[in-house]
Amino acid sequence: MSGTLVDTGHDEAHCVFAAKDFSSGAHPVWCPGCGDFGVLAALERGLAKHGRPPNEVVLVSGIGCSSRLPGYMSCFGFHGVHGRALAVAAEIKLVRPDLDVISVGGDGDGYSIGGNHFIHACRRNVDMLYVVMDNRVYGMTKGQPSPTTEPDWNCDIAPGGIGLRPFNPLSVAIAAGANYVARGFSGDPNGLADLIADGIRWPGFAFIEVLSPCVTFRPEQTEWKKMVRPSALSVDQDRAAATALVLADDGFSLGVLFRGERASAAPALKPQISLADIEREFALGV
Amino acid sequence: MARTSIAVVFAGSGGAGAMTAGAVLLRAAAHAGYYGLMAQLFGAQVRGGESAALVQISTEPIEAQPDRYDLFVALDWDKVEQFAAEIPLDEATVIIADPQAGAVPPSIAKSKGRTVPLSMNDPQASKLERDLRGRHVNMFAVGMVCALIGLGASDVQAAIDNIFAGRGKELIAANAKGAALGAAAAAALTLNLRLDAPRPAARWLISGNQALALGALRGGVRFVGCYPITPATDLVEWLAPHLLKLGGRLVLGEDELASINMALGASYGGTPAMTVTSGPGFSLMIETLGLAVAAEIPVVLIDVMRAGPSTGIASKTEQSDVNLAIYGAHGDAPRVVLAPMSIADCINTAEYAVYVAESLQLPVIVLSDQSLGQTTTVIDPAADRPKPLKRRINGGQPDKPFKRYAIGSDPITPMPLPGTPGYEWVAEGLTHNEVGLPASGAGVHVAQINKRAKKIRRFDPCNYWGASWGNGDVAVLAFGSTIAPAREAARRLAATGRPIRVVALRVLSPLPMNSIARALNGARRIIVVEQNHGAQLYHYLIGQKAIPPNAESVARPGPLPFRPSEIASYVV
Repeated sequence: MSGTLVDTGHDEAHCVFAAKDFSSGAHPVWCPGCGDFGVLAALERGLAKHGRPPNEVVLVSGIGCSSRLPGYMSCFGFHGVHGRALAVAAEIKLVRPDLDVISVGGDGDGYSIGGNHFIHACRRNVDMLYVVMDNRVYGMTKGQPSPTTEPDWNCDIAPGGIGLRPFNPLSVAIAAGANYVARGFSGDPNGLADLIADGIRWPGFAFIEVLSPCVTFRPEQTEWKKMVRPSALSVDQDRAAATALVLADDGFSLGVLFRGERASAAPALKPQISLADIEREFALGV
Repeated sequence: MARTSIAVVFAGSGGAGAMTAGAVLLRAAAHAGYYGLMAQLFGAQVRGGESAALVQISTEPIEAQPDRYDLFVALDWDKVEQFAAEIPLDEATVIIADPQAGAVPPSIAKSKGRTVPLSMNDPQASKLERDLRGRHVNMFAVGMVCALIGLGASDVQAAIDNIFAGRGKELIAANAKGAALGAAAAAALTLNLRLDAPRPAARWLISGNQALALGALRGGVRFVGCYPITPATDLVEWLAPHLLKLGGRLVLGEDELASINMALGASYGGTPAMTVTSGPGFSLMIETLGLAVAAEIPVVLIDVMRAGPSTGIASKTEQSDVNLAIYGAHGDAPRVVLAPMSIADCINTAEYAVYVAESLQLPVIVLSDQSLGQTTTVIDPAADRPKPLKRRINGGQPDKPFKRYAIGSDPITPMPLPGTPGYEWVAEGLTHNEVGLPASGAGVHVAQINKRAKKIRRFDPCNYWGASWGNGDVAVLAFGSTIAPAREAARRLAATGRPIRVVALRVLSPLPMNSIARALNGARRIIVVEQNHGAQLYHYLIGQKAIPPNAESVARPGPLPFRPSEIASYVV
């Protein structure tokens, strides 16, 4: 199922950069078999396909296993506090429209502590990419239910399950105004790389939810590779139809699910006045 | 006999136009060449709460709120009970009120001030008609006061033209007519409130919040992330259109957590950035303040303090965020804390804050307060400005990988702009090695803690540490909005042959120990005056051994301002 999710219109033979050019060489802290390795590989490949050099890309993350990712790549990066990556990332893009900005993180970081910022980042629709590695668990703190965890998942902190309806990030993103909403799978790094290259280029806020298994606390998620499949449908413009699509889905359809063309944040103006002009406003006409 | 100054209150229920009346008086007087100051007293309600403009006009520079008011003008008596206790009146106060508004309420009458009845409305009008027409009562009142103190019609007209600019000729004409009627009515009053002639010069009319914003712009701030919060909102509302026209940007965050992170993002991108808030928002920002320390990202945080804790009193002043500013954050998180020494000094302190943040690559907190921020005053613009300091973005070895957090003799290490080839680095809030990769070894942790501490240790504000006036053997030490009443107290004591000195801190952290020691040299008594219950500054100074154990503390909560007489009577 490699490289079939989206046509990026790029011939890899002509790429200036190779995936390895985007690797820092640092060894990830992730457990052997973690899905995030596949996402890291996909980001390296996707950025190589995209074709801009590592110094023109900024990776911004919060806290959690997946948020360690910027240190593993050779790009500029910002590893901040838990949940606030999108606020940092959007403003880097606003003051530096010459750079490509990608925010990465996990389901706890993005949907729980950072949930409010997720909604408003979609509303602002700044031209950037947000990749969430969703394993439906807080891994770094050793296995607590996250907003996307199934209600009956048994764990120490919530014996018998948390009993809450899982958060649906795709429908929220579509409703809140994101311009590009897709789902990828860490076990398909080539397909995910294509989505990443496509999402970076799509104007406005692009959101890719990546199914990325946690083999340590959610070993049953290794079965996801049997459950994922390319989505039969993709919706352009119609947010109601796209919302219906993602709400009806079982959560394992991969590919671009929605693309919109809502205007992104306007660039800053060229200076029209000087500080001296402002200071004159305070001067008394004596 | 003419006078050199007058203190006037315009009071009314919210929406009656007390603040507008005060603004017209202040601007008309400033236009004529007087100094002046207007503080605002209001409650939490948007409409219909209590509201009073506290205006002083003087031939001399004026910074402190007065001990008492000479003139109290009631636009109505509806909400006066809610703030009467906060406005000092006495038997020499003249109270002007419309008999149709009802009897002078006991809370005001108990001052034994002389009441001057004056119809500001058509006596035949019903209450409904008065309410409908009420929007010009404030202009009648201010026209009357301007005439009483000797301001000319052209000064009043200039003030009205400025304040109502862009709101249509009809509105300006209607307001001018109201003021003219008031001026005409003043002639019938047997009151002599005339001021001495002013000494006009090129001056500015500015509020503390505007002055902080201007200083930040001068320092190079071109990005602001913020969230609405009283009493800081008018700062960012003034800033937003000006920033836009300067080619910058103000983003209204979804909360304060976002606001400060937005500022860090913009700063990381290379744009000097700031966030603006008050106590409750500042509390929310503390985690990211620690990130700015650890990741070494420049950012300016303005805290326009209000009464706390919790939501406290949103619209009223207090100096109770000292501990939060100096110590707030988990871990060892050294930062620089500044406080403007006056409304005029808000300009230079904010500009300086940007330079310190940029050059040291750390967060700089500016502690203002509601009293400084929402007071408008006439200033002589300072001739000097702080020396510009820039962020170090060049230098270092373009190694693979680049050592952003290199340990060496200079703790300030280059911070290349994203986009610079060969210098890719990750801003890191976890304990990190020289490259910026997370690390949990003891050696790495200590090395980076020491690096950041060294930046602070080497910071020398030189003559920006603060200021000292006078040379008596009693020293009053203060910061922010308590400096002005302390200086006024010192002036009065000096006039009675008892000179004291006033020592003002602009840099609260790290403490400028040598400068403080020089300023306090030879002082027999040291009195720390601050507007919070816990004596936060006093305990900090004692803890740092900046003052001796026998230093005295005058600490009380807000929101009432320190009056010069309160400080003078403690000293003697």
